[in-house]
Amino acid sequence: MSPRPASTYDTTGSTLINHWQRGVPVFREPLVTPTLLFFAALATIGLVVAMVRFFSPLGPFSGMNDVYAWGIWKTFNVMTLTALGSGPLAVGIAAWVFNREKLHAVMRTALVSGFLFYATGLIALCFDVGRPWNFWVIILPWRWNAESAMLEICICMPLYCAAFLAFENVPLIVERFYYTGAAATKAFLLLCAPTVRRIYPFVIIGAYVLPMMHQSSLGGLMLLAGDKVHPLWQTPFLPLLYLLAAGLCGVGFVTFLLLITSLRYSRALDLEILGELGNLLSYACFIFLAVRFGDLVWRGQLDRAFALDKWSVLFLIETTLILIPAVALRSRAARETPRTLLNMATLACLGGMFYRFIPTTIAFTPARNASYFPSLPEVLMTVGYISLGIVAFAIVVKFFAVLPGENEDWNYMFRLARGRRGAAEPEGETLWPASR
Amino acid sequence: MSAAITRRQALKGIVGLGGTVIGALATPAAADEHPAQPVAPPDAVSMLYDNTICTGCKACMTACNEANGLPPDTALSGGLWDTPLDLNSKTKNIIKLYQDPDGKDFAYVKRQCMHCLDPACATGCPFGALQKSQWGAVTWSSSLCIGCRYCEVACPFEVPKFEWDRWNPKIVKCEFCFDQRLKENQQPACTAVCPTGAVIFGKRVDLLAKAKERIAASPDKYFEKRVYGEHEAGGTQVLYLSKVAFEKIGLPKLGSTSLGHYATKVTSVVYKWFSGPLLLAGVLGVAIKRNWDRHEAERPKGEEPTDLLNL
Repeated sequence: MSPRPASTYDTTGSTLINHWQRGVPVFREPLVTPTLLFFAALATIGLVVAMVRFFSPLGPFSGMNDVYAWGIWKTFNVMTLTALGSGPLAVGIAAWVFNREKLHAVMRTALVSGFLFYATGLIALCFDVGRPWNFWVIILPWRWNAESAMLEICICMPLYCAAFLAFENVPLIVERFYYTGAAATKAFLLLCAPTVRRIYPFVIIGAYVLPMMHQSSLGGLMLLAGDKVHPLWQTPFLPLLYLLAAGLCGVGFVTFLLLITSLRYSRALDLEILGELGNLLSYACFIFLAVRFGDLVWRGQLDRAFALDKWSVLFLIETTLILIPAVALRSRAARETPRTLLNMATLACLGGMFYRFIPTTIAFTPARNASYFPSLPEVLMTVGYISLGIVAFAIVVKFFAVLPGENEDWNYMFRLARGRRGAAEPEGETLWPASR
Repeated sequence: MSAAITRRQALKGIVGLGGTVIGALATPAAADEHPAQPVAPPDAVSMLYDNTICTGCKACMTACNEANGLPPDTALSGGLWDTPLDLNSKTKNIIKLYQDPDGKDFAYVKRQCMHCLDPACATGCPFGALQKSQWGAVTWSSSLCIGCRYCEVACPFEVPKFEWDRWNPKIVKCEFCFDQRLKENQQPACTAVCPTGAVIFGKRVDLLAKAKERIAASPDKYFEKRVYGEHEAGGTQVLYLSKVAFEKIGLPKLGSTSLGHYATKVTSVVYKWFSGPLLLAGVLGVAIKRNWDRHEAERPKGEEPTDLLNL
């Protein structure tokens, strides 16, 4: 058996090796590790608490009150974390609309992580609403209040996650069961595959329109809160800014996730693709900042931004977190240094999350004396949902070809699998043809 | 298997997708549903509260609890009598006392739902559980509410309250005694019981005129010589006259534009007949079609027929 190439850099010349050619499952790494068990435990605790919540009123469970009626399940799990889950939107548009072909290799990572962010966010919502049994009303269009941003989110978000995002992940599943399934499964998948392929481009149109709608509606939610939201954040541009923040968080998080998983599973990096993501991230940050400052100037609130009071400092932290990666990633050297790229992606994600979270809770300051701090069960549930996502991601990348890798790795993995089953390896044949 | 898609097919698909979404989503919205300064319909009912007359007897609170079947809030009195600190899930109507720090000036205030002409709560409510009913009363329907609490986030007066301690929580707010009394041709319990006439019931046009008469009769008596609620947040159906500053008695300083107008002025254009999303779908569709074709052309021929790998 030939040794698996283990190089991460081409030491012979200046040309970078194209390491990411296709999705390759994580292999030769155990699924169950102490870390995974830790997250599984957190997820279990969170879900058990969630079950208890289902039979308990909201009051004793949360720090929410009539003034701060929304807690972290909505403001963090949904309004903030789905920005990180916007990778399928941001990277997808770059790949399919702006034809950044390199990025197709990392789409699956974006799709799976995005799906998990949305799915866990929607689970969080299920336990947050007070009267979930009335949700069936959604099937009666004449009951819809078409002008409500909340309605748009109620319809659009589950639809996107359950139909569009899920469908985008179908090739992953088809492929897996084609290669490992029984003959009947294979025949069935052979029958389905052309249809999937035919529908796919139409699905991705919807998969970009819908999140653009609901990611902007999430910002639109805070419009009705009016003066309760501090003027540095309350603006008619909230929907656009929320969408742009989703864009930058989406790209940032995919970059972050690729680097983190490559580190965790000791996989080779493809700095050409990562550099492209870094470039994209830098532009996304600049566009966000341009609109953010343009809006402040337009509304004449720029002096508040630099007043150096509590709000101004919050604003400056948030802006700096986005400005640093925007500027730093303009340098090609920085984009192609994994450590810098990881740091910058982290900063951008944090900045975007700050922007999405602050107007919902911190800069949400009604005149009345009241405060909100998440209670322990609230935190346990939020942490539980995130851990659930992490555990699911670890399982999916183990069994499906999600994380990008080399064709060689793919072939090697299959030889390993064949060898284990005792089947004879066909002489001189590349088992599974490379797609690119 | 040919994955090639002709331009016509792509176009058909785009239109088809758009059509489905339109059919599902576009509820025709009346033109300018949220004017910046809504005009009250002539039959809009109203309440006028004048704290130069109120003696703080709280008869209205008892009458309200009785009419609405609300339990007493006895948290502060050790279970003895009704002592709410503010509007809450057991209190739809409350009389509060404001006193200046130097103790000289004081004023009562009656708080309940303001019944805005363009209520933010109803604009945000996803399934119309909160809605502007007949005569302009803002009412809540238990069968349509999913408990998202957007009304609490949206209301500039912070009126809707959520029953945090119940498994089957309701949104509790003054509904102008709509079901209990208005429909029976009776005025709300609070105005009916008020012994001094500090809070009176009538058509909004009449009460607004009456309030202005009172101001004209004794202009020095009233703060800023104006009626609170005439323009606040686009205008409310509950009107206030006060001897002290409105902010002091907990009535927030608000602009004259309705929040519904502010929140929907852009989206109502973008989503008009669903045109924005459709246009977006069209533009994206053209670009995606082009790049998809390129992507398909680059696929190596004669490989695995199921090859979905490069998606």
